Formats: sequence, structure tokens, C-alpha cells
Amino acid sequence: MSQTDNHNNGHWTLTLSNDVQEIPQLNVFIDEICESHDLDMMLTMQMNLAIEEAVVNVMNYGYPEGVKGYVDISVDFDGNCLTFVIKDNGIPFDPTTKGEVDTTLPAEERSIGGLGIHLVRKLMDSINYEYKDGHNVLTLVKKLK
Amino acid sequence: MKTTFEEKDGKFIMHFEGRLDTASSVQTEQEMKVLYDCEGHDIILDCEKLDYISSSGLRLFLALLKVAKTKGSKVCVASMNDNLRQVFAMTGFTHLFEFL
Repeated sequence: MSQTDNHNNGHWTLTLSNDVQEIPQLNVFIDEICESHDLDMMLTMQMNLAIEEAVVNVMNYGYPEGVKGYVDISVDFDGNCLTFVIKDNGIPFDPTTKGEVDTTLPAEERSIGGLGIHLVRKLMDSINYEYKDGHNVLTLVKKLK
Repeated sequence: MKTTFEEKDGKFIMHFEGRLDTASSVQTEQEMKVLYDCEGHDIILDCEKLDYISSSGLRLFLALLKVAKTKGSKVCVASMNDNLRQVFAMTGFTHLFEFL
């Protein structure tokens, strides 16, 4: 298991390997950040959900089957915005190109996939992807009211 | 995540306790298989003690619903808290399930 977790002056980082069984560590990480800033339960749960979805997408699609990889998650809080940067050095993968989910369809026609990025879009105020220096970099921002 | 299954008044009831996230969904998927044999039984998913659900959990609920519909069974969601109701609303799941 490889994980580093540190925080300093409103900046936190966590590194996970591409194993969804490590997601509970991500949940603890996000919970601690939100609690340390007295953010309410609803917002804490929303951030947990959005970041879990984004990180799980990297774990599932960013690396070929059987290849061990890493996902870095960094969080900055400036009092107004929570900024999450999710970075990995897997294959170039832009999760924002996935089409919009039609949430009005009946059960028989609903697709099982696509819910993750849909939730990220609904929960975050901005999503930005770039492929830079051999890394996928996904930046998610939530503005606090 | 802990699930408990019971059959009561002809209905299949599954109680969920804890967090249904990506990590726990693997195990929960296995535990929900008992609900798939639902001809003649409506299903209640008791979410009173469900604290959190991510898309992996939503997928399990949707997969079950699809099968239940082909067998003529209803799937009801019971006692879901407001945070989770909001997740359901965001993903359009509110109109797919009945709520108790």
C-alpha cells in the first residue's frame, strides 16, 4: 500500500495507488479537510462523492489492466473555493468528453455507465482537463456560498 | 457496508447499513444477488441506515430495477435521508423508484 497524506497551510495532498479498495482512504482525507473548515455535512458528502467519482474513473480507465499506477489528489482552500487537482501518469484520458446523461429515460433505457462524470458535473462548479508533461490533470472547483 | 436480507409479508427487504461506495460495492453486489430471484415478490431497499451512496451503488440499484421490472416486481426505496435523496435527484433516479 502506498499512500502519503500531508497538509500545510490550506494545501493537502494524498497519493493512492490505482486500487479502488484504497478509496476509503480518500473518503477519510476529504472528510478531514471539510471538517477542519467546518463545512456542513451536505457539502462534505457532495465533495466526497464528486472526488470519489473522478478518482475511480482514473483508476478504472487511466491504466491498462494489471498495470500498477498512482493517483495524486491535491486540495487547496482559500476561504472561497475548494480546488481539487487529480493527477496521474496513465494513458491520456479526458473524462469530460463523455456525453451528457439523459436522466429522463425510463429504467429500461437507462445506461448503467456514465453516472460518475455526470455527478461530478452536477456537484462541481467547474471542471477542467489537460494533458501536461505526461500527466492527466483534472481540476475541479467548488465555490462555497 | 452491511446488508441484511429478510422476507416479510411476501416482500423481499434488504437493509443497508453504512456507506455504499466503490470499495464496498463489490461485496454488496454479491449480497444483492438474492433479490434477483424476485418473481412474485416486490422489493424494498431499506436505506434508513445508508449514509452514503456513490455511482457504484446507484449502478447496483439500477441493475436490480431493470431485472425486477422484467419479472413484474416493484422496487421501493425506504427511509432515504435528504442527502441521498439529492443524489438520486441529480441522477434522475427519483422518478425510477418508488419512495416510502
